[in-house]
Amino acid sequence: MVKFSISKGRYTYTHDQKYSCENVDIHHIILKSSRANYVFVYTLAVLLLASALYLCILGEKSISIVYYSVLFDIFLVKLLLRNPVKKESVVIMPAFGVQLETHYMSGKIIRCFVPIDKILKPVLVECVTPVTCYWTLSLMIRGESEMVLVFKSLRPPVKMLVHVWKALCSATDIKEEALNTCTTNN
Amino acid sequence: MGDHEKHRIMMVSDFFYPNVGGVENHVYYLSQCLLKLGHKVVVVTHAYGNRSGVRYMTGGLKVYYIPWRPFFNQSTFPTLIGMLPIIRTILIRERITLVHGHQTFSTLSHHALLNSRIMGYKVVFTDHSLNGFGDVGSIHMNKVLQFTLADVSQAICVSHTSKENTVLRSGLSAEKVFVIPNAVDTEMFKPAFEPPSRSSEIVIVVISRLVYRKGADLLVEVIPELCRLCPNVRFVIGGDGPKRVLLEEMREHNSLQDRVEMLGAVPHAQVRSVLISGHIFLNSSLTEAFCIAILEAASCGLLTVSTRVGGVPEVLPDDMIVLAEPNPADMVRAIQKAITMLPKIDPQVMHNRMKELYNWHDVARRTEIVYARALKCPHQDLLEHLSRHLSCGAWAGKLFCFVMIMSFLLWHLLELWQPADDIEEVPDLIFQTSMMERRGLKKEKKMTDDGEFGTSFF
Repeated sequence: MVKFSISKGRYTYTHDQKYSCENVDIHHIILKSSRANYVFVYTLAVLLLASALYLCILGEKSISIVYYSVLFDIFLVKLLLRNPVKKESVVIMPAFGVQLETHYMSGKIIRCFVPIDKILKPVLVECVTPVTCYWTLSLMIRGESEMVLVFKSLRPPVKMLVHVWKALCSATDIKEEALNTCTTNN
Repeated sequence: MGDHEKHRIMMVSDFFYPNVGGVENHVYYLSQCLLKLGHKVVVVTHAYGNRSGVRYMTGGLKVYYIPWRPFFNQSTFPTLIGMLPIIRTILIRERITLVHGHQTFSTLSHHALLNSRIMGYKVVFTDHSLNGFGDVGSIHMNKVLQFTLADVSQAICVSHTSKENTVLRSGLSAEKVFVIPNAVDTEMFKPAFEPPSRSSEIVIVVISRLVYRKGADLLVEVIPELCRLCPNVRFVIGGDGPKRVLLEEMREHNSLQDRVEMLGAVPHAQVRSVLISGHIFLNSSLTEAFCIAILEAASCGLLTVSTRVGGVPEVLPDDMIVLAEPNPADMVRAIQKAITMLPKIDPQVMHNRMKELYNWHDVARRTEIVYARALKCPHQDLLEHLSRHLSCGAWAGKLFCFVMIMSFLLWHLLELWQPADDIEEVPDLIFQTSMMERRGLKKEKKMTDDGEFGTSFF
C-alpha cells in the first residue's frame, strides 16, 4: 500500500507498507531509464564502425582495423551502459535493522543488512568532487571509520532523501530511548 | 547606514585555513565580519591533504575544499575552463549574488572570476601584494591579470601604493579600484600586563619568513653592527626559511649566541607571546603592499622600525614607526633613533590608538559599499566581454577571446547536460552566536515547526 510518493525529473520516491506489520517501513527510489544515454552510446559506436569501414574500403587499410573497432565498440558499450540500476530500496525494521537493496534492470537484486545497534546516526552529507557537488544519505556505523551509503548508485534529489533520513532517525531514536530506559531501570 | 540589502558572497582563494598567512587571515576575518552584518558568505578553496569537501567554521562560515591538487606554491593547476562545472554548481546551489576573488597568485580565484563573468555574475577582486614588471614571471603574471581584470566589476587594493601598482600592471581604470587597508585583531594582540623593563636591556623582535623578499640579507648586516654599537641590545628572531642558514652563520661568526636568539617557525597563536617580550619590532622587507606584521606589533605596544618600501609608510602614524631606507647603515641609524624614543612610548596607549585606527568591522562595512557598487554595474553580454579582451594585446587579445568563447560554449553545454533546475539549492543553516541570542532563538524554535532545516523543504 503506497503511503506517499513524489516525483522529480527521472527519480520517483515512494513510501509504502508492503507487510501487514505496521512497524516495517519501506522507501523506494525508482530511476526512469534514459533513452538519451542509449542513443548517444550507440550512435558513437556506429560512427566508429563507419569510420573504420571507410578507412578499410576507401582508404585501403587492412581489415584488422574493422575488427579492432568492433572490439572497441563492444568494450565502450559494456563500459558506458553497464548493468543499469532500476530501483534502490530501504527497508526499515525498527527493532531489528535496516536492509538496503539495489534492484538492477536485469532482475538481479543485491541486499545489504545493517543491524540497528550498529547504526550510530543517519546523516545527510554534501559530497564534493572535482566537477560537481551533491547530497548523499549515509549511516555512521559504530566502530567503523567509513560510513555506509544508503543509496549506493543513485543520486536522488535531497527533497526525497530527507523523508528517508527522518524515517531512519526515528527508527534509531526509538532504539536509543529503549537502551536508555533499560539502563535506568537496571 | 539605512537598510542594506543582504548579499550572498562567494570568497575564492587558493590560500585559506589550514594555511596561515596574511591573505588567509584577511579572507577569514572579512568573512566573519560580513556574517555578523547579516550577509551569507561561502569560501571556496582547494583541498589541503585529507581536508576535502564541505566544512563549517565559526559563525556558520561554509568552506568548500574542492579536490583539485595544488600545483605550485599552493596554487591550483591552471586549466582555464576545467573549473567551470564545479564553480557553476556551487554558484547555483548557494544562490550566490557576488563573487570575490583574492590574490594575484591564486589561480583558483582567476578561474572563478573568469567563469563567473561568463555566467553573468558580478565580481570583485582584491589584490594583496605588489609585483614587479621586469622579470619573466612578472610579465606573464601581469598579462594573466590583464585578462582577468579586463572586465571585473570592482577591485580592492590594500594601500594606495598597491592601487597604483595594480592599475599599472593590469590596465584597469583607476575609478574601479577602491583602497581598503587590512586590519588587525586587537583583541588577540594586547600588550603584556607588565611590559618588559627597559633599564637593563632593549629587546628587538623580528618575526618574518626568512626569505629574500623579507630582507633577511639586510638583517645579516644590521645585527652585528648594532650589537657592536649598543651593548645593551638583544635580538629575538622568529620564523624560518631558506635564509635562516645565513643568520645562523652570522651569529656564529660574530659570537653573538647570547645576544641573538633564534626561535624557528612560530605558530600564529604564539606570535603575541613572542612580541610582548620585546620593546622594538624590526621589519626589513624589500617589498610590501601593506604590512600586517607591523600592525600586530603596534597593537602589542612595540615601537616599529621598518624599511620605507611599498605601502609601509601608509600604515602607521609617525610617532609609532621609524622608517629607513633599505640599506644597513640607514637601518642602524633608525634603530638607534627608536631606542632614544622608547622612554616616551606607552604600550597601552599605543594599543588603544590601534583599536581606534584599525578594525575588521570597519573593513567589512567599506567592503559592503564596494559590493553595492559592483551590483549596480550594468550587465554585459558576451560581445562586450570579447571587445574588452581584444584590446588586451595583438596576440594575447585573440587568445583571451578564444578562451572566453570556449568557456561560453562549455557553459551552454553544461546547461543542456545538467540544467540549473536540476541543481538543488542548499538550505541556509542558522548558527547560534551567543548565549543571549541562543535563549532568544530557543523560544523562536518552539514557534516554528521542525527546525530550520525541515521547514525549508515543506
